[in-house]
Amino acid sequence: MLTREEVLKIAKLARLELTAEEVESYRKKLGRVLEYIHELDSLKTPQDAFVRHVPKDSVAFREDKMIPFPQHAALMKNAPDVEGGSFRLPPVLEES
Amino acid sequence: MNIKGTLDSYRKKEFKPSEFIDGILNAISKKNPSLNAFLEVRPEESRGKALELDRRLNEIDHLPLFGIPIAVKDNFLVRGWRATAGSRILANYESPYSATSVERLEAAGAIVVGKTNCDEFAMGSSNENSAFGPAKNPWDLQRVPGGSSGGSAAALAAGLCLGSLGTDTGGSIRQPASLCGLVGLKPSYGRVSRYGIVAFASSLDQVGPFGHTVWDAARILEIMAGYDSKDATSSRTVVPKYTEALANASVKNIAIGIDQKWLEGLDEEVRRAFDKALQGLREKGAKIVDISLPHACYSLSVYYLIAPCEASSNLARYDGVHYGHRTKHPKDSEEVFFKSRGEGFGTEVKLRIMLGTYALSAGYYDAFYLKANQVRKLIQKDFEDAFQLCHCIAVPTSPTTAFKLGERTEDPLTMYLSDIYTLPVNLAGLPGVSLPCGLDSKNLPIGLQLIGKNFEESSLLQVAQAYESHRGVFPEPLAVRGGT
Repeated sequence: MLTREEVLKIAKLARLELTAEEVESYRKKLGRVLEYIHELDSLKTPQDAFVRHVPKDSVAFREDKMIPFPQHAALMKNAPDVEGGSFRLPPVLEES
Repeated sequence: MNIKGTLDSYRKKEFKPSEFIDGILNAISKKNPSLNAFLEVRPEESRGKALELDRRLNEIDHLPLFGIPIAVKDNFLVRGWRATAGSRILANYESPYSATSVERLEAAGAIVVGKTNCDEFAMGSSNENSAFGPAKNPWDLQRVPGGSSGGSAAALAAGLCLGSLGTDTGGSIRQPASLCGLVGLKPSYGRVSRYGIVAFASSLDQVGPFGHTVWDAARILEIMAGYDSKDATSSRTVVPKYTEALANASVKNIAIGIDQKWLEGLDEEVRRAFDKALQGLREKGAKIVDISLPHACYSLSVYYLIAPCEASSNLARYDGVHYGHRTKHPKDSEEVFFKSRGEGFGTEVKLRIMLGTYALSAGYYDAFYLKANQVRKLIQKDFEDAFQLCHCIAVPTSPTTAFKLGERTEDPLTMYLSDIYTLPVNLAGLPGVSLPCGLDSKNLPIGLQLIGKNFEESSLLQVAQAYESHRGVFPEPLAVRGGT
């Protein structure tokens, strides 16, 4: 079972702000799933873990050619905040 | 009504695409409030496309999905339509382009009639993880349609389209197909382009069709399958004409593998229907052979490490910066990330992101992610060995029929167990198809799953077709007969 601090550490790594109730709920749920997953510990497995995730013929390189994407405006339309065609965010560093 | 029959009716001029699409749109407006299968419809746009096809009837032989209404899961991009993936974080996202699969279907004459409800980011087995409320099962509105492509299954089962699209990462097409009495096909990994799909777990995700019949699913697959330069994981393997291969489908001397141990503890009614389906295949000339998949029982653990690890990485892009929900009045950039994600993601998605983050974090990688991949390799090997003895493998799609809304939401593992028969197929990258094989005593559909060799969808669909011909026409839910 995970501790409250461990859950908070994971949430911080995952960039998730959680409420106090969520921390407790996830502590229990994560513990439950991890407990189940530990069944794999005792299983003898080969050292070679390479699993082919892509079909054998699908990784050939395509021609290195620029293909314009004409829907630039449509992409920017989804941005939460835009200034001069760029994404705008609050300042990262305080102005001195 | 099915795709094949509707194409025949168009050819015979029994009705025009605009008349048929109008009927579908009316049915959607009447039935969707109780089903919640669709998250977005654009009647004017769909009607406009149908009217255009009215004038192109002479082209029907070059448009293999001429005037066919299709519903598309909301984790596909369809240009100009919203794509929420069932999440608050993408509630207002408007697709700047279309998924390759959708583009190909539209080029073949299909008409998108709506975007369908799904579990958030395709994570779930009941559609209850949708930020927009669950879709309901047309066979019984108190029950789930399955998930994550629950809306696509509910829409088709209720007669609100003639084919639909889903994604299947651990069973998300096959399980809802089983629960809603439909054919649902998860193709081999790499068979269909994933360009324009909201990524969940990239070594597992695959696009596939729902149809009322094997022929309908085969028709949709043959149009959208094939190499796409925009998806590096799409295969260059030639796409056969799947529908042509169905004409003389036979299971004579075909060996179908069964792992008896895998079936232990199965619901009695599901078992009975499964056995009856096997008996049917045997009568048609198939040989039933014993096989063993000794590591399939570890699929749940393997899946719930690999999929969350990949999801935690894929979902890092939702940071409130480029698109999607951004928290109001953030005081600094860090708050944009933490609050936007905390507010935008739902309960199950956050659970899986944290599970993946934990399993990939320093000191745990070997114990979790590496170990899971080692066992994944054993599962793949089990299938390779089994296919030395048989042409395809049969197993029920879901251990139970449709369950009640709210019945499995408390404990994550209870819900995860809904997919024990579908998960290993994704882990091994194989094609699998679910097709209805009976009804239980509550009048709920039961699904038979057939698993094929890699990239051998043709022979898999032939076996499915032979069974379907033996079984006969499957009944429709009450909702279609006017009960909803």
